[in-house]
Order: sequence, then structure tokens, then C-alpha cells
Amino acid sequence: MRKLFALLMVACMLLGLVACASEPASGTTDTPATDTPATDTPATDTPAETPAKPVENKIIYGATTELGGDFGFSLWTNGATDAMVWRMTTEYNPVTTDQNGAYVINPTVAKNIESTENEDGSKTFTITINDNLVFSNGDPITAKNFVAYRLFASSKVASELEVGSSTYLDYVGGKEYYDGEADTFTGLRLIDEYTWSITVRADKLPYFYENTFISAYPWHIETWFGEGADVLDDGNGCYFAINGDAAAFTADAVRDSVMACRNMVDSSVPTAGPYNLQSYDKSAKQATLVINENYAGNFEGQKPSIETIVIVKAEEETWADAIRTGEFNFYDTITDGTEINTALDIIENEGGFEYVQFDRAGYGIIQFMCDFGPTQFVEVRHAIAYLLDRNAFANTFCQGWGSVVHGPYGIAHWQYQDSKEFLADNLNTYSYSPDMANQVLDEGGWTLAADGSEWGGTGLRYKEVTAEQAENYEDYCVNVDGKILMPLSIEWASSEGNAVSDLIATMLVKGNDITAAGMQINQATMDFSALLSYLYRQDQSGTGGDYTIPTYGMFNLASNFENTVYDAAYYWTGDPDMVAQGFNSNYLFDLGEGGLDDLSMRMVYGVDPSDTETYLEIWQQYILRWNELLPGLPLYSNVYVTMYPDYLENYNQGAFWGFNQAILYASIPSAQ
Amino acid sequence: MKKYIAKRLLYIVVVFLVVSVIMFALFNLIPGDPARTQLEPLRKDMRPDEYEARYQELREQMGLNDPIIVRYGRWIGFLPEKGTTDWNGLLQGNLGFSQYHKQDCTTVMAEPMKNTLLFNIFTVVLTLSITIPLGIVCAVKKGGKLDQTVQVVTILGYSIPQYIFALLFVFVFAVLLRWFPVNGAKTPGSNYVGMQAFLDKMYYMCLPIIVSVFGGLGGMSRYVRAAMTDALSMDCIRTARAKGVREKVVIYSHAWRNALLPIITSIIGWFLSIFSGSLVLENVFSLNGMGKLYILGLNNNDSELCLAIQMFYTIISLVGNLITDLAYGFVDPRVRVDK
Repeated sequence: MRKLFALLMVACMLLGLVACASEPASGTTDTPATDTPATDTPATDTPAETPAKPVENKIIYGATTELGGDFGFSLWTNGATDAMVWRMTTEYNPVTTDQNGAYVINPTVAKNIESTENEDGSKTFTITINDNLVFSNGDPITAKNFVAYRLFASSKVASELEVGSSTYLDYVGGKEYYDGEADTFTGLRLIDEYTWSITVRADKLPYFYENTFISAYPWHIETWFGEGADVLDDGNGCYFAINGDAAAFTADAVRDSVMACRNMVDSSVPTAGPYNLQSYDKSAKQATLVINENYAGNFEGQKPSIETIVIVKAEEETWADAIRTGEFNFYDTITDGTEINTALDIIENEGGFEYVQFDRAGYGIIQFMCDFGPTQFVEVRHAIAYLLDRNAFANTFCQGWGSVVHGPYGIAHWQYQDSKEFLADNLNTYSYSPDMANQVLDEGGWTLAADGSEWGGTGLRYKEVTAEQAENYEDYCVNVDGKILMPLSIEWASSEGNAVSDLIATMLVKGNDITAAGMQINQATMDFSALLSYLYRQDQSGTGGDYTIPTYGMFNLASNFENTVYDAAYYWTGDPDMVAQGFNSNYLFDLGEGGLDDLSMRMVYGVDPSDTETYLEIWQQYILRWNELLPGLPLYSNVYVTMYPDYLENYNQGAFWGFNQAILYASIPSAQ
Repeated sequence: MKKYIAKRLLYIVVVFLVVSVIMFALFNLIPGDPARTQLEPLRKDMRPDEYEARYQELREQMGLNDPIIVRYGRWIGFLPEKGTTDWNGLLQGNLGFSQYHKQDCTTVMAEPMKNTLLFNIFTVVLTLSITIPLGIVCAVKKGGKLDQTVQVVTILGYSIPQYIFALLFVFVFAVLLRWFPVNGAKTPGSNYVGMQAFLDKMYYMCLPIIVSVFGGLGGMSRYVRAAMTDALSMDCIRTARAKGVREKVVIYSHAWRNALLPIITSIIGWFLSIFSGSLVLENVFSLNGMGKLYILGLNNNDSELCLAIQMFYTIISLVGNLITDLAYGFVDPRVRVDK
């Protein structure tokens, strides 16, 4: 027995020794994890005046979302960190976004872009690229490489390979090619080695953001589609062929190579961005990117200088310990207020790090259903806004790292920045005021008690409504002397495990103000999928149930803007078919001139791309109208923080300027 | 015995099919429309009519318009795939297609399963290697200082949630002592190959394995101790000692064999658990394992992936039960089944 026990202890010790010995110290291909050994003195103990210690020209990036290993241009899945990797490895695009999120022509790629309006109302864009662009392996980039991406994303083959894309619908001949009705994509033409054209359908024009139509990325054709694969154009539009045979280009024929490129199983996949994916460990979910020496620069000609970027997962529970011990040294976009405060504590007390803060391009919101129940009345929506102290809410939820917006925009939008004064003068901020809430409810006719008498200040308020207004809310209404009385009781759908829901419940639903105002909000907690079903009122008979009956008057959601393309077209449509399909999920039918529908459509579909002034005017009117009707109540807009090592210089991140873009300008002067 | 095994295998088939029907029905009862979910990110790029057309196309493609019984038939492999004559369901070895990962479930599950297996093999071997001798020693020296100390330590491991001492161990061993990394599965940026890669991986797995082993000490060592205490008080043990049989033989040959019967279920259960993931440890230590994958699937309504994982564990459990029953017979011939 003693022998066995002793043996076991020895085994444990050996395991420990082996483990310690395996710490990277030798080997031919290894790269140490940190700049200092694990047992080194922490950065805090280093006096500030100590000369800068040489460090590796490397960043270890802690990502809050896990790598999935799908680097397929967001055509399949769309994980945030995967998308970041493909953006870093495939940045060349004739159009790109600048530091403010606005679409700009990328002169590094595009030599010339011309547009021609056709007789049928369609518009043809002819793009000529520079002839000095090469892939990471040195192969030249030609027009075919850009066309290959667009052609594939619009093909039936892509659909058979589970690609999710709808942009083919924007172009002439795209749908026919996608449906397999046409052998060629007639709107996509190869002009010469460095020039191609693409024709946008008439019904998609005029469009304020028409530059987005020419977006394309270069794909290395033979790597993506196998040996002999090519893009051809016989005069009727582009098509794929393998060894000249169009029929040979099938899903089965290209599946293996496409999937290999999608997952970048081989680091030799030629790419065209500032970095190459050197390795991706699908077991550890860790990616290593190294500089692409053949990269010609971004739209400003900027090239990266940081040699290596390693992407690892940062866990919510242990990220602070991991960053303290050097497991990673870059923590991007910290969203949670408590985490931000922890990060700042580390920066202040332990040193070795700096941070950059920026506004979130998005917000959290309470969305109202405006076609039934109490929330169909604008006074009720206003009253809810007055009853919630949104400044306190934002402060509590964001731990001081957030602010309040008063409409559907982000602080970082150029539209907002250019309209700051106008909006400050004209928007109603709905400042916390229970008195105002009572006043607007009185004005809105919510002056009765359940028995039809005057509301005396206690219990629920009621309002006399018509049978039409009571529709879908009959079960809650009461009949008194032939009058239909609707109670001021609102059903609220909230998603489970949601801190925002908890805070709304505490600060609004369970507060004394709401009771004093004669209002009641009933919370129902559900998973997010069910919440969306209720929101869109989907008929899911056969797959879970029928949600078509309006049930909940308010939902709490979050909304993000990826760039400054502000397109709210069809959000307010009155077309019953479109509404049934989930458009206009507020069910607010503000139709006619000057209404939300008119303004949102005219903003993007009625303005020439060069007429920014008109666009901005309509945008301002739209925001004002939205603020007046209040189909939603913005709750908070976070301030985000990114933490990076203090030896990294010139790192400037923004709401629309992410890590993949900002890192090109950053450097490590003390790098070995 | 052969007849018994054949009968049990037949039961396994029946139970598997019944479970598959129940699981498939349950996952289909979950609210949500997979076609709508898949199309949701593309909504803003489409006109309403285009959206509707694509939505209907997708529903058709995913077979959502078919009756649930037909969908079950295709999934399990009783019916050919939609629009083809290929029989390619669960029974034919096709675990399904993950709508979230856009890949075959087999591909999606491969890496997490490997990690989970590696992690659990070490955990199980170490836990059993420690707990069985420890339980025996404690039983033999019942009431002694060693026994009392072990009881206190194991009760801690047994009663404190794994999450708590995972964080505690991280703080002590990774942050203060810096013996182990905080989390992850390999040295960031390393390109180790062969043995060096394996050792690197083991270095990163050390701390989670220690936590897992510590968490497992309490239960198993107490089972063994209790079983051995009972066995040591049996008449046959007293007789053996009276006959002058050596104490080692009394303990390991007589008492241990008698003690084995009640704990054989636990031991086999431990070995079967090598396939199961640990959500808590995988999250704290950033390990790519089955627990994390399953939760990811559930959170994203990836029903085919969840079903694939669920059915895999169903098979493991059914086979495990059979092995346990057969093991009783091997350990104790009195309960051996011959029919």
C-alpha cells in the first residue's frame, strides 16, 4: 500500500516537473508566450524611470468572442473575431470605410471608378484596379480575382455550399444567375485584365450609399476553386469554368477547396490584407497572424509594423488575471462597466498598460408595439419615458461608462456630429419627471378608474377607447355602461438572463412612480428566440407555435451600427405583406408626406450620393419625427474601452475604426 | 451470457429509438424558426418580397414545411434525404448539420471531443489512482489522524462548488505562484510540433486537471472508505485474520474484492464520464470542450448539433449501463447472469 501511494506521489511530482519543463524555453520553432518568463517580477515592480526594455514586436490579443475558424468572408457564419481575422487578411476592396465609418474610394486598390446611367434606369460601375497589387504569395491580383468573389457569392453553387448571401439581388442578372435560370451573370462583366464592370438594378437606385454596390474582395481563383478553375466572359456576362468547361463547375467539384479556404486549413491560402494567417489551432482556438510583406497599404497607404498578432480567447471570469500574468496583453472593446473599472484599476495600480475609450455605435432600447394596447397611444410611450430616469439608468448599467441618446443614432455617427446643435435645440430629452408623465397621461385621456369614474390618484388609470382600439386587447378591457375602458397595463417581453431587463424591472416596473402614475407593467421572461418570434409575430405553426397574435406591448433590445450607412428604408412600411414579413416591427404606420415611412425612404432612395446636405436635412427630420412619436425609448449608449500595452504607440480606436484598422497605424518602438 | 447480451443489445436499440423520438420532438417544440433565424442577418439587405421568397425557399430546403414525422424519418435515417434517394440519417452515421457552425456535426464535434477525452482521461486516472488507495487507507486506519484529515479535505472538495475553487486555484497557482498559466490551451503564438506540442498542451491542462481531481476526491474516496469499512467488518475478514492470513492479503484480496461490488458502478461511471464536458471548467480555463459546445448549441438554437450530442451521450449511457451490469458478474460470480 505504501509503495502504491509513494508511486502515486512520484507520478504527481513527475507530471508537475514535466509540466514546468514544457514551459517554452527552447525549441526551434517556438515563440515565447510573454515577453517575460512566468516567474518574472510583475510589471508593477518596475520603476517608471527604468529604460524601456526591448520587447517582441508582437501583440497577444484577448478576444471576448471565441474564434470559430470560419474565415470565409462572413458568407457562412459571422463570428466577430472570425470576421476580424478575415478583414485583416483580406483588406483590399475598391471601397472601404474611413476613421469615421464613411465609405470612401480606396486609391490603393482602385485606379479609376466610373459610373454610367443606362436607359433602363440601371447604373453600371466600371472599376479599374492598379496593376501593382499582388497576393501574399506574390501572384498578381487582376480583375478576375475580384469578379470571382462576387460571382461565387451570386451563384447557385454558393447556395448549395450553405452560403448565406443576398447581395446578388442588387445587380442586373444576379437573381437569374443565382436561381440557375441563366448560365452567365449578365450584370457582371470582365472588361480587361484590370477592369470589370457591375450593373446595379434600376429598382435599387438612386441610392445614397451607392458606393457599397461596388464592394468586392480578391480571391485566388485556383486556390478557392481548384486547379483549372477560371472566370470567363464571352460577351454575355461572367461565369465560372473548370478547364474551360462551365458545366464542370459544380458544388461537388469545388466543395473541398472552398471549404479548405473557408477554414484556412492551410496557411498557404493566398490572401490580400495587411496580415497573413500563419496558423490557426482549431483545438486551442488560437490564431497567429504575421505581416504580409506584399501588402500595398490601406486607403491611406498605411502598412502595418507590428510583426505578429496572436489571437486568444479572453474569459469573462479570468481575463484580469490573464492580462496580469501576460497570457495576453491587449484586451479589445471592454463593454461591461465593471470590467472597465477593473481594467482601469490594473492600469493605474499595476502599470504597463494604456487605454483608449470610444463611444459605442449603438444603444440599448425599449421598443414599443404601436398598434394595440396602451402603447398604441403616443402619450403612454411619452409617459414611460418620463417615468424612467434614463441618466441614472445609463450610469448604473454602464457603471459610469455610458450616456443617453434621444433617437436612433450613435454618438459617433457623422450625421449626429454634424447635427449636434440642431438636435440639442429640437429633440425632446424626456427628462425624468413623474409630474410630466401624469400630465401627458391626463392629456391623453387616461383619466378614468375601472368603474368609469374619475381616476382619483390610486389604482390603475383607464381610458375610453373604441372597439377598433381595443382590438387584441379585449381580454384586459372592461365594459362600463356600454363604454370600453382600457387599463393602463402593459405586457413586457424581456429576455432571460439579461442585466438590462433586471434594471428596467428595478428602476421602472417595480418603482413607486409607475404605481403613482396609475400604470402597471407586467414582465414576461423568455429566451431571445421566442422574444423575436413575438416581436415579428411569426406564424411558426409546425415549428413551435403561432405568435401572430399581438401579445406584448414592449420589448427590450439592443441595436448596433457597423458603419455610418444609415438606411432605415422599409422600417416603417404600411404594406400589409411587408409588415407580415417582419418589416415595421414597431407596427407604427406613420405614412404620408413627412411621416417616418416617407422620410426613411427618401433619405436613401431619393437623394443623389453627392447631395449630403439634402440627405442630412432628411435625416434630421427623420430623427425629430422619431423622437416625437417615440416608437422606442433609447436607454443607454455605452462607452467602450480597449486596454493595450504601454509600449504600443499611436493606437487610436474608434466606434467605426476597429482593431483591424487601427493596428496598422500602431507601432512598438522598443521592439527587438 | 451471450443470450443476455443479445437481449440487452436489443433493449438498447429500442430505448435509443424511443429516446430519439422524445428528443427530436422536444427540440422541435422549442419556439423559433431556424429559417427565419438564418435569414435574419440578411434582412436589411433584402427587399420584403425578396426576403419572403428566400425565406420560403429556405424553409423548403430545410424541410420545415414537411410534417414532423417526415422530418424525424429523414433525421434518424428511416427515410431518404429530401429530394434524393440517399439514406443518410443518424442510423447511417450522419450526425446532422449544424446550422450555427454551417458544418457537419461530426466535424464540429471532433476537436472538442478530443480535448474533452484528453482532459478526462487524465482526470479519471488521477482521481481513481488517488481516491481508491486513499479510501482503503482511511478505512483501514479509521478514526486515525490521517483519516480525519482526509475526511476534512475531501469534504471541502465535495461541498464547495467547482467554480469557486477553480478561481481560487487560478489565483494561487497562476497569479501568485505563477506555476501554471491562467487559462488557454497552448502557448500563444507557439508552433510546437510532436511531443513538445503535447507537453505544452499538458502544461496548460495541468491546472484544470488539478481542479477537477480535487473536486472528485471527496465523493469517490468516501465511497471506497465506506465500502471498505463495511467489508472489513464482515465475518469472513474476522475469520481470515483468525486463521493468521497476512494483513495485506486480508485487505487487498478479501476485503477489497467484497468492497468492490458497491463501488463498481461509480468506477465504471467515472470511466464513462471521459466523454462528458465540464461547462464550468471549460469556461474558466478557456478549453475547447464538449460542455462549451453543447451550451453554444443550446444558446443558438442549433437543434441538430444539440441532438447529435444528446444522442451520442444516450448511446454512451446505454452501453455504459450494459457494461456496468456485466461487470457485476465479473466482480461477483453470485450475480452473474447466464440467461
